[in-house]
Amino acid sequence: MNTPHSDARPPRWAEAILRVLLKPHDRETVSGDLLEEYRDTIVPARGRAADLWYIRQVAWYLLRASWMWGTLMGAALVFRYLLDTLVPTADYRMRASVLSWTILCVCMLAGFVTAWRTRSMRAGVLASTTSATIAAILSIVGAATMLAMWHDPATLEEWRRSGGLDETFIDVPLQLIALGLMMGIPGAALGKGLTSRVTLSG
Amino acid sequence: MECAYNVGTMAEVLGTFEQAVLLEVLRLRDEAYGRAILKAVQERLERELAAGAVHATLERLEGKGLLSSRLGPGTDIRAGRARRFYRLQPAGVRALNDARRTFNNIWRGVKCPVTALL
Repeated sequence: MNTPHSDARPPRWAEAILRVLLKPHDRETVSGDLLEEYRDTIVPARGRAADLWYIRQVAWYLLRASWMWGTLMGAALVFRYLLDTLVPTADYRMRASVLSWTILCVCMLAGFVTAWRTRSMRAGVLASTTSATIAAILSIVGAATMLAMWHDPATLEEWRRSGGLDETFIDVPLQLIALGLMMGIPGAALGKGLTSRVTLSG
Repeated sequence: MECAYNVGTMAEVLGTFEQAVLLEVLRLRDEAYGRAILKAVQERLERELAAGAVHATLERLEGKGLLSSRLGPGTDIRAGRARRFYRLQPAGVRALNDARRTFNNIWRGVKCPVTALL
């Protein structure tokens, strides 16, 4: 029997993200479980706030696919800031180069692994971009914490020499997100392509 | 003593949340599908859970061979999407028994609730 809420729909974009992030094996069953819970329990109990519940459930899947890569990149960035603050050098190019390659590889890996697992390129790009966003937030928090701890004129001068506050709080986070999007595409294409090859040969 | 399921490391292998999920699969019997298990575990633990946490645990337990699953028909309220029904496997039954035995052994000789202050 249909209940009054049996045709209620969660936000379409959230449902689309959820389905993309799920393995093909779980796509129908897990999205069905969430839809059933949404219609049968959450909408009658919470009304319009039910959409927030649904978005939180989808965010769980997105974070599950991205938090590890995001934390890895965020830690690399904070480590670089810490190194620049505590062990200043005359030439920052080597450090910048190592950090850039680390971030490029991790973004590609995030895209690759997620696309491989879900067989979806969109999922790979989404995970890579979200990972980069997590890293950007962590780097801002880390840099702000360091500045709160060490803000004497000599340290601030070293920060200026290694790129400056604008770079730390604006340029790097924005570039990170753009990199996450750009590097997620080849990573995801590789993951999806390889899955298809394995499936075909299997 | 050697455990039937996994030599001597039962408590490390099966966490509390995994035990809760396995026990609900056992209780729900033929009605043990994702959403029913989610609701039952929430009621048992008296807190709201992310559906993904239960689905991830079910997937992990199936991967360990403690559960098996089969697809069942969908219903109108879930837009006709299939349901995945879970069933406890012999290894799952052994794992639960081992976990219970470990739990009892740990608590043996201690009165509950514990009142002594350290």
